[in-house]
Amino acid sequence: MSKPNFRKIDIDALEEDAFSLEELEQEIGETRPRHEVEALVGSRAQEVRSLLQRGNIGAALAKSLEDPPYGRDFDAAKERNTQTVMDVLNSTKSSDVPQLVKELNPVDQDVLMKYLYKGMASPEQYNSGVLLAWYEKLFEVAGQGCIVRVITDRRTV
Amino acid sequence: MSNTLRPYLNAVRQTLTAAMCLENFSSQVAERHNKPEVEARASKEVLLNPLVISRNDKEKVLIETSVNSLRVSIAIKQADEIERILAHKFTRFLMQRAESFVILRRKPIEGYDISFLITNAHTEQMYKHKLVDFIIQFMEEVDKEISEMKLSLNARARIVSESYLSQFN
Repeated sequence: MSKPNFRKIDIDALEEDAFSLEELEQEIGETRPRHEVEALVGSRAQEVRSLLQRGNIGAALAKSLEDPPYGRDFDAAKERNTQTVMDVLNSTKSSDVPQLVKELNPVDQDVLMKYLYKGMASPEQYNSGVLLAWYEKLFEVAGQGCIVRVITDRRTV
Repeated sequence: MSNTLRPYLNAVRQTLTAAMCLENFSSQVAERHNKPEVEARASKEVLLNPLVISRNDKEKVLIETSVNSLRVSIAIKQADEIERILAHKFTRFLMQRAESFVILRRKPIEGYDISFLITNAHTEQMYKHKLVDFIIQFMEEVDKEISEMKLSLNARARIVSESYLSQFN
């Protein structure tokens, strides 16, 4: 016996139509080249910042949630975009939150929910208290379905 | 309740309610087996995105969902050495008696203090909202329990040291 632990080999993975996350993520992920996506995320961060400086928070929020980078191999772009969204969330007065959340369209609400969970996953980096306040308001508007879509969507942010 | 505790527990409650949609699902790898997919991790397509809800960097909850099972891991607040010891002893005590708690897991997930494993069998036997309530209540009580234990431990230590040192008077 050349291989003593042959029983541990995952033979199902060798099958031709075996499911693999890589394939799925390639299918649903970003098709543009990486530098293009990163440039896009960078320019969006600039636009969002200038909107924030002008005090137009509603537009800044909608802009930051637009067209988020999905798929594997885009970790740097994802981090950058998360930072952009968090900047908007942190610079909003808590009394404005309900109105802002109501003005978002359902797709953007789902994206915002994804970013809220993403932010809460690294509490040492982002302020969880702010995120929880946003979460509460967003849940009131978007409901349970929004969370289910975050759990099941493979297009993670 | 303090300011951030209520939204934190609410967020956990909503997420659990959304995640707890479990159904019977036999293993796709081994015939006539039926195992919790979140533990077995044999087929990737039935595992859903894990979610973390955090209050601060010490207190957080990890919720991992799959088609027929759900794993909830809780990191309990541990501010100092005494609380760390107390939390460890307390969770160990519970986990050694895991079968009486039905949904408790015998070992916590790495980085967390205590884990629950809920399968479709549990959601069929028990009410879903009661299961969610149980976990939320556990999270509320465990902080209270540990701070109470810490107070009584300090009081006891004070009495012991006083009565010990009084003989040198």
